[in-house]
Amino acid sequence: MNVFHFRRPAETSLAMQFASALMKVFGFSLLISVLVSVQAQADAPTIRLFPTTVVEDLRQTSAVAKEMETGLQEVIGRLDQQQLLYQQSKCDGAESDPGCQRLAKQLGATYLDMLGIMEERLPDMEHTVNNTRLSLEKRLRSELGNKMTSWTLQETLLGGKSESADAATPRMRGRSGMRLSERFRQYYKLVASSSSQSDQSLAVLASDIYLDMEETSVLIARTREEIARATLIEQLNQSLGTITPEMMEVVGGVKSILFGDDTGPVLIAGPPPGNFEKDYRSPLEN
Amino acid sequence: MILFKSTAGVLLSVIASGLILSSCASSPPPCDGPQTKLLSAAMSDVRNSLTSGCTAYFDSYYDDLLTIAEGDPKPENKRLFSEFLVWSSDEGILNQRQARDYYNRYFNVKFVSLQSDYNNCSHTCPRRDRVMLDMERELTDKERGLMKISRDSSGYYRADKLYQEMELVLEATCTACAAGR
Repeated sequence: MNVFHFRRPAETSLAMQFASALMKVFGFSLLISVLVSVQAQADAPTIRLFPTTVVEDLRQTSAVAKEMETGLQEVIGRLDQQQLLYQQSKCDGAESDPGCQRLAKQLGATYLDMLGIMEERLPDMEHTVNNTRLSLEKRLRSELGNKMTSWTLQETLLGGKSESADAATPRMRGRSGMRLSERFRQYYKLVASSSSQSDQSLAVLASDIYLDMEETSVLIARTREEIARATLIEQLNQSLGTITPEMMEVVGGVKSILFGDDTGPVLIAGPPPGNFEKDYRSPLEN
Repeated sequence: MILFKSTAGVLLSVIASGLILSSCASSPPPCDGPQTKLLSAAMSDVRNSLTSGCTAYFDSYYDDLLTIAEGDPKPENKRLFSEFLVWSSDEGILNQRQARDYYNRYFNVKFVSLQSDYNNCSHTCPRRDRVMLDMERELTDKERGLMKISRDSSGYYRADKLYQEMELVLEATCTACAAGR
């Protein structure tokens, strides 16, 4: 019986997306902690997007995400070893071999452990992510939505940069798939290059985090819905003693995110440097 | 008899001259666009046309001047356009705001299409798609003014980045505004 068609590809991408979102939440939380300490040292900001409550929510999210990350790392390490053993034993194509069936069952059991950890931690994650999302939502609505016009928002975003060539700052959205270490390196650059971290960066950062939290919330909710079904299917696979390729794909995806062996998208070169002649300033300029 | 003939001749020529002059005064000026490819000379042509009653063609002249400037891009073109618009404002052809908008739409990083007196939740968010479309069109004009005419590529890239950031921040802000209703 061919059991390779049990799981739909959508489940795989969901698990990978979730793991990616988890890392993102953790990364953002750390970034915000650093950002806020930098911000506290600088002059008082004119917009308050990251007050203590938001920071506290982010810290809590960070702690919960880290717990989950630790748990997943351990179980993924185990899966890695088991998969290696399975391959070294040349079990591919020899699924009917009793030894290979035993290995496959062990792998499946570890996979179930991974689902179990996710199931156990997800309610906490969902709670803290939603808290953070709601705190940011409130600040964005109040500071950028109700206190600003589109013109003042533009001026905030432009900040003091309008007169100088812009330093290359990383685009925040769509980070999924980037190596974790690379992400942190960029966070560090972002913070380090902005000792006078100003409102324009904070507005972009707050927006970015908020939209990511929104996506994460949706993913957590969907993942929770799917876990029970995935567990049931894996229990069925256990009785058959077979490893599905999708299971291996999920594990590979989560590993690449945690350990950073992902081959990210090729970076495209930035625009050529601009004309650095002294800019003419018209009396008509706003 | 000879005297009568010469008097009648003079009278006829005076009437004819009067008719010719009156017909000249009532016919509209030609209002042709600038004929030269030299920007400063073209601006001089346009100034003459504008002061000769061709103010209704301002948009067309401005576009002609931009096209001419694209043929010889350099940073000082910004100044020439600024001076031309200040002159247009001083002559009463444009009001101050129009002059500012004509300049900033093409030669400034900031987006004139974002001018608003009301807050984002109540005014910008309900028409966010329209705002972004207007910004996109303005970005095309900025590409023309900053990049193709003034060779200010860094200015254009700042405008492009501002457009992207505005898109992101408005998406988040408007989502937050909608959630609060």
